Amino acid sequence: MRTTIGEARLRLPARIAKGDVIMVNAIVTHPMDTGFFRTPEGQPIPAFFVKDVVVRFGGAEVARFEWTSGISRDPVVSFPLLADREGTLEVTWTDSQGSTFTQQVPVAFGAA
Amino acid sequence: MPDSSMALPIGRRALVRAAAVAMASAPLLRIERLAAGEPDPEIPNEIVAQLIRARIGDRKPVRGKVTLDMPAAAEDGRIVPVIIEGLELPMTPAQHVKSVYLIVDHNPDPLVGAFHLSPQLGRLEIQTRIKMKRLSWVRCLAEMNTGEVWADYARVSVSLNGCG
Repeated sequence: MRTTIGEARLRLPARIAKGDVIMVNAIVTHPMDTGFFRTPEGQPIPAFFVKDVVVRFGGAEVARFEWTSGISRDPVVSFPLLADREGTLEVTWTDSQGSTFTQQVPVAFGAA
Repeated sequence: MPDSSMALPIGRRALVRAAAVAMASAPLLRIERLAAGEPDPEIPNEIVAQLIRARIGDRKPVRGKVTLDMPAAAEDGRIVPVIIEGLELPMTPAQHVKSVYLIVDHNPDPLVGAFHLSPQLGRLEIQTRIKMKRLSWVRCLAEMNTGEVWADYARVSVSLNGCG
């Protein structure tokens, strides 16, 4: 069985220039159980999934994703961000049991 | 498959590979679908119709402006790559994509995700991986803050049930 839930990672391009629209890749380890499967012993596995993802940039909410268990295990999402200023990008995942997982990464412009 | 083998690097590689395939083959597959005379995807089943109504009311989604790229045949229904793009849609405070709804008609829970966006994202492009139970139409609806709803549809067959 898996040993970790909520191990989160954010990836940004190595070099960011002011005004770029960059792609952000966000992943969190989570079983995303649908509630429709059973263990090999026949016990039902209850639904348990990430249901809410909030993206903040410089403290302001810029996106929010409502998910169901129809998103794959260890959910991955990539989305754009207009890097018109430097700031902290923060993503918070909340699962159906109320656990939250947060990861931050600085959006900083590289020296020319 | 043992749980531990579903670790991060495998998933990411699979996504990249699948995304590349999906992007390369999407236009051809779309032509094949049209030629095969598929049923009209704009008529959803009752559950899906209710779900759409709950989100966008009586507005009628119009096909165009947004693209839903998925493989026509997905081997593993647990991991089906999805790319949603709407590069010609504006993303300014006055005019932007407010929400994107991703719906799989024949999943036990048809609404897979609702993605609420803002102009700070700069453009519409979302990539993720979803589960699918069996052959189904997949719907992507992009709702503008000004009220229009753009749509694209993909018919995806699935070899391995990913929903139990």
